[in-house]
Amino acid sequence: MTEKNETKNSSGVDKGLVAMFLKMSPEERLLANDNAARAILELRNAFKQQKDNSRGSKRNT
Amino acid sequence: MHSNSKKTTVADLSAILEGLIKADVKFILVGGLAAVVQGAPVTTLDVDIVHDRSSENIAKLFKFLKSIDTIFRRPDDKIITPKADDFSGLKHALFTTRLGPLDVLAVIEEGKAYEDLINHTIEIEFRGHRIHVLDLEMLIKLKRASNDPKHKQQLPVLEETLRQLEEK
Repeated sequence: MTEKNETKNSSGVDKGLVAMFLKMSPEERLLANDNAARAILELRNAFKQQKDNSRGSKRNT
Repeated sequence: MHSNSKKTTVADLSAILEGLIKADVKFILVGGLAAVVQGAPVTTLDVDIVHDRSSENIAKLFKFLKSIDTIFRRPDDKIITPKADDFSGLKHALFTTRLGPLDVLAVIEEGKAYEDLINHTIEIEFRGHRIHVLDLEMLIKLKRASNDPKHKQQLPVLEETLRQLEEK
């Protein structure tokens, strides 16, 4: 836990994550963001689908 | 043609940038993606650009937007397509396209337009082309001045990124 806190600055920003991202080229960063955005949208859709399904099954009972 | 499922699943933001470049549109990449490009570990779901409002550039931008099935992003399901004169004023135009969300901004914080921002950009190499990206110093300055809580939230990450860049 302490070790983890040392990797963060006074605002709680993960310095290691910043350093890791800075090692990538601008194009690699854009692609990483595209992949992350796709994953977020897929998860959001899955969540929405699950909510719709549970609403549907409640209506049927 | 748009459908609701398409609207929520597509995010090929790099393809939007590549399309803008190939269409020879003069623009500055701003917002979250500008921060991403410069190394900030944040994720964004849209492309924000400030465009040059010359009539020649607006014609190129409009042609490109038509080619990627652009419609206004709205809370309801109304499908409204943009017109060329939507880009000549000082308004923000927020769109959904078949490649993902795209915000076309005439001005950003402090009323800054393309010509005010161009000297505060860096040029990056992307797929063999050059893109103007609002530099991290100016991004931070504008986010500090912004009233949008989302902008304030990102500030510590941007500041740490700039700090590490300056250390290098």
